[in-house]
Amino acid sequence: MNEGLINKAPRKLLFLFEILSLSLIFLYSWEGIQTETYVIAVGLVLLIYFSNYLLGRISKGDNYIFLIVCMLVSIGIIMIYRISPDLGLKQLMWLTFGIAMFFAAYFAVRYISFWGRLTPIYLLASYALFALTLIMGSRTHGAINWITISGVSVQPAEITKIVLVFLLAAFYGGDEKYRKIKNAEVYLMIVVYSFIGLLFLQRDLGTALIFFGVFTGLQYIYSQDRRLIWANLGLATVGGIAGYLIFDHVRVRVTTWLNPWPHINDKGYQITQSLFAISEGGFFGTGLGRGNPSFIPLSYNDFIFSAISEEMGIFTGIGIIMLFMLLVYRGFKIALSQENQFFRMVALGISMIFGIQSFIIIGGVLKVIPLTGLTLPFVSYGGTSVVTSFIALGILQGASEKRGRGGIGNE
Amino acid sequence: MNSERKRIITILVALCLGFVLLIGYLSYFQMFRAQAVRDNSYNKRLWINEDNILRGSIADRDGQVLVYSETRDGEAHRIYRYDNLYSHVIGYSLKDYGKSGLERKYNSYLVNANENTAINELINLINPSGVGNNLNLTIDHDLQKKTRELMSGKKGSAIAINPKTGEILSMVSVPDFNIGNLSENWNTVSENPDSPLLNRGTQGLYTPGSVFKILTAVGVIQNGLPEAIYECSGSTVIDGYTIRDFDESGHGPLNLEQAFAVSCNTYFADQAVAMGHDKLREIAENLSFNQKITFDLETSTSTFPKDSIGLTDLGASGIGQGRILVTPLNMLMIVSAVANDGYMPMPYIVESVVSPGGMRIDSHRSESRKVMENGEAQALKNMMREVVRSGTGTNAGISGVQVAGKTGTAENSSGKNHAWFVGFAPLDDPKVAVVVLLEEEGSSGGRSAAPIAREIISFALNSITN
Repeated sequence: MNEGLINKAPRKLLFLFEILSLSLIFLYSWEGIQTETYVIAVGLVLLIYFSNYLLGRISKGDNYIFLIVCMLVSIGIIMIYRISPDLGLKQLMWLTFGIAMFFAAYFAVRYISFWGRLTPIYLLASYALFALTLIMGSRTHGAINWITISGVSVQPAEITKIVLVFLLAAFYGGDEKYRKIKNAEVYLMIVVYSFIGLLFLQRDLGTALIFFGVFTGLQYIYSQDRRLIWANLGLATVGGIAGYLIFDHVRVRVTTWLNPWPHINDKGYQITQSLFAISEGGFFGTGLGRGNPSFIPLSYNDFIFSAISEEMGIFTGIGIIMLFMLLVYRGFKIALSQENQFFRMVALGISMIFGIQSFIIIGGVLKVIPLTGLTLPFVSYGGTSVVTSFIALGILQGASEKRGRGGIGNE
Repeated sequence: MNSERKRIITILVALCLGFVLLIGYLSYFQMFRAQAVRDNSYNKRLWINEDNILRGSIADRDGQVLVYSETRDGEAHRIYRYDNLYSHVIGYSLKDYGKSGLERKYNSYLVNANENTAINELINLINPSGVGNNLNLTIDHDLQKKTRELMSGKKGSAIAINPKTGEILSMVSVPDFNIGNLSENWNTVSENPDSPLLNRGTQGLYTPGSVFKILTAVGVIQNGLPEAIYECSGSTVIDGYTIRDFDESGHGPLNLEQAFAVSCNTYFADQAVAMGHDKLREIAENLSFNQKITFDLETSTSTFPKDSIGLTDLGASGIGQGRILVTPLNMLMIVSAVANDGYMPMPYIVESVVSPGGMRIDSHRSESRKVMENGEAQALKNMMREVVRSGTGTNAGISGVQVAGKTGTAENSSGKNHAWFVGFAPLDDPKVAVVVLLEEEGSSGGRSAAPIAREIISFALNSITN
């Protein structure tokens, strides 16, 4: 087969994009050009080229997902570097580490066979991570979701997201003994809702929505008791309304979603700045380095999509949405061709995380849905986000390889 | 297995639909909403562009510069030469508080950012420290000074217009504010209960009182009843509710012209009831009530009740009370239509936009709309002349000039009457029309507003030649 040839063409396009946008960065910062500009340019191209090449040699699975993600990462890192060279360099560092973790996760999935039998461990790990956040957490931008371990800030919920997928997959598709407990599915639902409740308390509404989405998706596909799905949806509605009535921070999100303009100086500031940026860009953008994305608070993080739309235009914005759509599609395709139940569910869960998270944050900055603080996977700045997203991708990569129907192990 | 595949695909389709929704909304937003969002004065990007451009200057009709910008220590400064005089016409342009008046409406001209063409962008790239376009106004600086002088210490608005062309000659709203130090005084000014930031002339809505009788009179003329004799006994009972005259002894028998001159309330209340709500509303809407007035400054819309109203309300409407609200600018346009033989001019204040190189980029062309027959206008002209010659408006009289007008004393919820005067001169070839509104003056229009109008008219006729 000429698999290699097919893989090479998009890889070349990716390099073309990188070279073009990097030359724009060079043009933009011609006068104050610094060594870090060369570092980022050479580093990014080499890193992406080498890791794609490596992956082509070692994995016989789906090599497109990594290519798609490389495109997202390239757009993101170029935008972050343009907003703040310091952060750009840090992001490159995180990216290097993230890709290393991608391979680590891939090998872990490929060579370790007992992932589907660890239901209680996933459960304990989730609660442990929540406890860690509540005890050590510090509040940033309204949410308590950061902990600092020896100088490095980590968002435990990013890790819990992946653990949740493993927990759900192990429950529905791993060993059967937990499913056979009476009312097991009800207990599972209570567990998931306890996670969501804890996230509400931490004011991390975006992650709460992802948890709910992934759980509901997998429940819809695999639940034996179909009434529970309705119970779940009913409970979510009641919970949503209760959350609106009880929590002030939830009400603020809804108010500024319905009409942010009267609150432009305070609580509606972020979303209106985001809309200003997007409307400034037009279809083709102001051009890299020629807009003012730094007017948006957190332009390199939650609002990176708006910053990209301002300088690269909504055509690039639409491109990013389509890349996520492709990523989700490939992820679901991996699931459909995976014969192993557990890994099929893992593939579905991870694809859903990517899809739901990107929808929530892009929809939020566009004011299609209420804004909840989340990173745009692979694009936003942030160590935990980049590393955990690459770990998730590595797991998806591992799940894309053929496995025995029941057995767990490599080919 | 099969149902599992189906469900997986259902979830996939749902996620894809979500993404398609985002793409659709993003495209919709960019095509239909983005422009309005960009122009929001809170958008700091507007200011960034402006920092590179020296805002254009604004001059009066004789070329006298009222406001300009200059660079001092590498920073652009806006110089307002006349502290309070143009607070509502030119308005302010402040980074922290946005813009108002012409600074807002003509912002894109003043910063030359109007045509966002590729060529303009290239020019801006090559020469980023450009200079904006200049505005030439229809305002006469001397008349503006005179008008403000006459209005000082009052609350209200006075506007003078050329009734044939619609050129605004002066426009004052008091209380006003000093644009030069508005930034420092923002809180005091914006929280002042008398709302100095409001342009009362174009945005204030007031009960018109007797100046509205001009509209009721149009109805009487259109119904062919100007000569019909009416017996005024000092009060009239409509639907069990009594409408009284200012002078309760009664005016005795009178026709339209006589009733208009003495501003007989019972006459006009009964006439309004006789012609009905639809007729009166039709006349009012034809004269821009309930219609947005397009103007160089922000305007409010005058209101005449749309749903059918009770007879008492209708009678009150006939004398400008009840639920009618009007802007001074709108009243001025109505008077201008009378002066201009039935053609209502569209008012304007920016005569032309001129590039820094002296090229005319945009200039205003006078427009007018026929709102009444010539005969009706002539009859009203004569009636309004009679008001000033022998009726309630004698204080507006100028010897040697035939001034025409109508007074109004409007009761309102504050308990203190608004004093109105609208008028024009000279009768046979009107050169200037004015409106004077004194908010909550607690005095009659004839006593307090008419003398101010007289001074404005007299000054305008003497000083404005073109």
